Amino acid sequence: MFIEIQDIQKSFGQGTSRVDVLKGISFSLDRGEFCVLLGPSGSGKSTLLNIIGGIDRPDAGDIAIGGETMASMKEKQLTLYRRKHLGYIFQLYNLIPNLTVRENIEVGAYLSEHPLDVDDILNTLGLYEHRRKLPSQLSGGQQQRTAIGRAIIKNPDILLCDEPTGALDYKTSKEILKLIETVNQKYGNTVIMVTHNTAIRDMADHVIRLRDGVVRENTVNSVKKTAEELEW
Amino acid sequence: MRNPLRKRLLRDLAGDAGKYIVIFVLMVLSIGLISGFLVAANSMIYAYDEGFEKYNVEDGHFITAKKMNTAQALAVEDLGVRVGEEFYIEVETDESNTLRIYPVRESVNLLCLMDGRLPENGSEIVIDRMHADNNKLKIGDTITSGSRSWTVTGFVAFPDYSCLFSNNSDSMFDAIRFGVGAVTEEGFSALDQDERAFCYTWQYLESPESDEEADRMSKDFLPALMEEVSVREYLPRYQNKAITFTRDDFGNDRTMMMVLLYIIIVIMAFVMTVIVTSTITKEAKVIGTLRASGYTKGELLLHYVSMPMIITVISAVIGNIMGYTFFKDFAASMYYNSYSLPTFVTLWNARAFILTTVVPLVIMAVITVTILARKLQISPLRFLRGETSRRKNRRTLRLSRKIPFFSRFRMRVILQNLGNYAVILVGFFFADFLLAFGMLLPVILNSFQEKILDEMIAKYQYILTVPMEMTESEHKLEGLISGVMFMRGVETDNPDAEEFSVYSLRTTDASYITEDIMLYGVKDDSRYFRADIGKEDVFISSAYAEKFRIGPGDTVTLKEAYEDETYTFEVTGIYDYSGGLAVFMDQATLNRIMDMDADFFCGYFSDTPITDIDGKYIGTVLDQEALTKISRQLDHSFGDMMFIFEIFAVIIFFVLTYLMSKVILEKNAHSISMTKIMGYRNGELSRLYILPTTIMVLLINLICLPLVDAALARVWRYYICQRMTGWMPYIRDIPSYIKMYLLAIVTYMVITGIQYLRIRRIPMDQALKNVE
Repeated sequence: MFIEIQDIQKSFGQGTSRVDVLKGISFSLDRGEFCVLLGPSGSGKSTLLNIIGGIDRPDAGDIAIGGETMASMKEKQLTLYRRKHLGYIFQLYNLIPNLTVRENIEVGAYLSEHPLDVDDILNTLGLYEHRRKLPSQLSGGQQQRTAIGRAIIKNPDILLCDEPTGALDYKTSKEILKLIETVNQKYGNTVIMVTHNTAIRDMADHVIRLRDGVVRENTVNSVKKTAEELEW
Repeated sequence: MRNPLRKRLLRDLAGDAGKYIVIFVLMVLSIGLISGFLVAANSMIYAYDEGFEKYNVEDGHFITAKKMNTAQALAVEDLGVRVGEEFYIEVETDESNTLRIYPVRESVNLLCLMDGRLPENGSEIVIDRMHADNNKLKIGDTITSGSRSWTVTGFVAFPDYSCLFSNNSDSMFDAIRFGVGAVTEEGFSALDQDERAFCYTWQYLESPESDEEADRMSKDFLPALMEEVSVREYLPRYQNKAITFTRDDFGNDRTMMMVLLYIIIVIMAFVMTVIVTSTITKEAKVIGTLRASGYTKGELLLHYVSMPMIITVISAVIGNIMGYTFFKDFAASMYYNSYSLPTFVTLWNARAFILTTVVPLVIMAVITVTILARKLQISPLRFLRGETSRRKNRRTLRLSRKIPFFSRFRMRVILQNLGNYAVILVGFFFADFLLAFGMLLPVILNSFQEKILDEMIAKYQYILTVPMEMTESEHKLEGLISGVMFMRGVETDNPDAEEFSVYSLRTTDASYITEDIMLYGVKDDSRYFRADIGKEDVFISSAYAEKFRIGPGDTVTLKEAYEDETYTFEVTGIYDYSGGLAVFMDQATLNRIMDMDADFFCGYFSDTPITDIDGKYIGTVLDQEALTKISRQLDHSFGDMMFIFEIFAVIIFFVLTYLMSKVILEKNAHSISMTKIMGYRNGELSRLYILPTTIMVLLINLICLPLVDAALARVWRYYICQRMTGWMPYIRDIPSYIKMYLLAIVTYMVITGIQYLRIRRIPMDQALKNVE
């Protein structure tokens, strides 16, 4: 397996205010899989995503990616790991306001020794004509597409998406989902997407449903829908 | 691939031009000014140093009571020196200036002709360039002294008078009332030859390599010289203030200027870190995303440090260009205003470049990197959550609900911005220090001048020149005759004249600069000395007491200037006299201590001029003019400098309050927008977001003033004790401090107006927008 998650535990606070957010999460994913992490607010899905992304540490348990275990990594190694293997997409786009669309995507390209072609990505994302605009001149969907471009330009092994459609309307959300689907198929990245939108599960290869810090469902879809076919 | 973040820098610069321009202007002015001073000083010092050889400057000079005869001159030359005559005569011009006139020099201390030509006949004269400037004399003007007059044909620099000290024991030179000039031999012969000072220069056959060696050689030379001739004054070059003061002062100026620059750079570095920290806070989520994507702390640190460094580099380059052009001439004119220096050629100064470019860059780098690196230690996750405080669990200060809501709100704003206020505190302290220095110096000088005039023992003190033979036991007959001549020559019918004795000794306290102390022997029923002085009493002047921190009951030990003999006195009282460092005792007592006859005297106190004594016996006249020359010269020399200090202080006030209040408003722009939506009016928002800074500015300024006062008093004392002879007390002038306070407030009021407009301009939809 490409990603192996073993008995991940995480809590916040101390004493009586201690909250166990993850209570022993285990699952594994194959390279190139599209995985959806489902669950209501507070179920621990974003915390788990952050741990997979190496920006948070578990209290117990370990994650192995391509045979490399994260528990033994020091901070510098974790940064290198993120740099080499990960792309991040957030609900809020977090673009650099005074860089153009193209330059924001180049911010991601800088991190890779063999980045994808920027023009190709701009065309794939439908941003080519907007490449010279600043984020403030774009719609929410265009900004999220730019954020996706920034994440995938370095052709990461894993694309982590934290509620990427959370701030978007139905139509734009579907556009973004289509793009992520395209990216997954075209470049073969493993995608892990956190969402509370249950409709999205149908487009995933692998669905993990969390509730109260434990895995309630771990299923592999034998039949997938395309993003275009999703309805909610 | 180069980091694409660098593309932001120019846009950041343009987007925040207001902030960066004020920092840039202050840094360019500071670096330009200091670079100009360093370049000018270095070039002038080079010309000055070069002048020793070029103008064949003396190794020292001595003044004898009488002209040396040939045998004496040969005997002195046998001591391993070349001796040259450099006689002079002092005349008082009709403008009440003292002009020391020499024949044009031909071998030693050659003149540097700066403008015009040398004199060609007995009625022509060249004079010191600075004395001419100070007295607005032009080539072709006439200088008159009684029945004599000379046409000025040129301006010169005397290499042995780069600083116009008329007397080496003076606290300060006097380039206004004292000047030097040179005439032809014919012109010199036409002067009253009885007034000649028999001054001889000496040059060692083997030049000393250092001041230490010069000291040793001069100490060996003096006793040998005294065996041959009667020496009235002995002054090796390294002790001659007229020659050395300039170089020492250049060194002090350089140190002061560098300190000024570096303090400004340090303050600007802190201001920069506040601005960048505020940007980091604003961009926390972007930073979190970049860190989550794999950007290292180092890459982000480099990015955020770039802007301060770019501003500093550009400021340093432009500052240096201005330093070599505009400010160099400005600095040179200030130096020419104080010193009689020869012409100079501007030299490239690598050291100045390093001091004004590399060092500011290093200071900026060290401060910004240290602070911003700590800021960027925050984890990517916390950046993503918008948490930019390093402490994870910040405890909120509880504020009583009894405090009105608006007050609580303002207290929160103050607590939120303590870092900004700390920078304002440091900056204000420095600005207030500069301002205090600029404003208090004229007050101190005026007060000192008034005090001196109030406390004058008499309007005129005539210090008489006693023939050396009178004090030499081996020439009894000569002494007797000279004594009789002297007594006749100094006899006066002026009813105001009162005799006193005076003797000069030197201090021995190694922790202070060596001072000449005047010992006065006054009559027990003196009409001028305002205290009852008993036979055993020893009073010291208040100036002496304050400078050396001596009180009644303490003892002072003084020594002969050129001998090892010491005298110890127990102080019994302090006499209010600021005009000089002096010891007062009964005349008979002083005469007895100094082995003089009981009725010996060598000076007159008088409230009216004494006109009937032989001029050749008048050594020095201490009148209002003479006693106030120190304050006059300091005012003249530092006047322009004080203005610069005041301008810099106001600029610093402006820059700091403008930037810090701007940062505070920007930090809270989202909240301001939100509260506008809720219905708060601009006036109410100003009370919430501008008033806290106003309160803090008022408070900080109030805290700074006593701190500045204490610091300035210490610095003043240090300077006077270590760098200057004489004493001038520091004055805590409350009206000046009130003016300083008001000046800072007026400056801040301008800022408040700008900030109010800024609050009005914050749109309501800002709170509704996405973060981008």
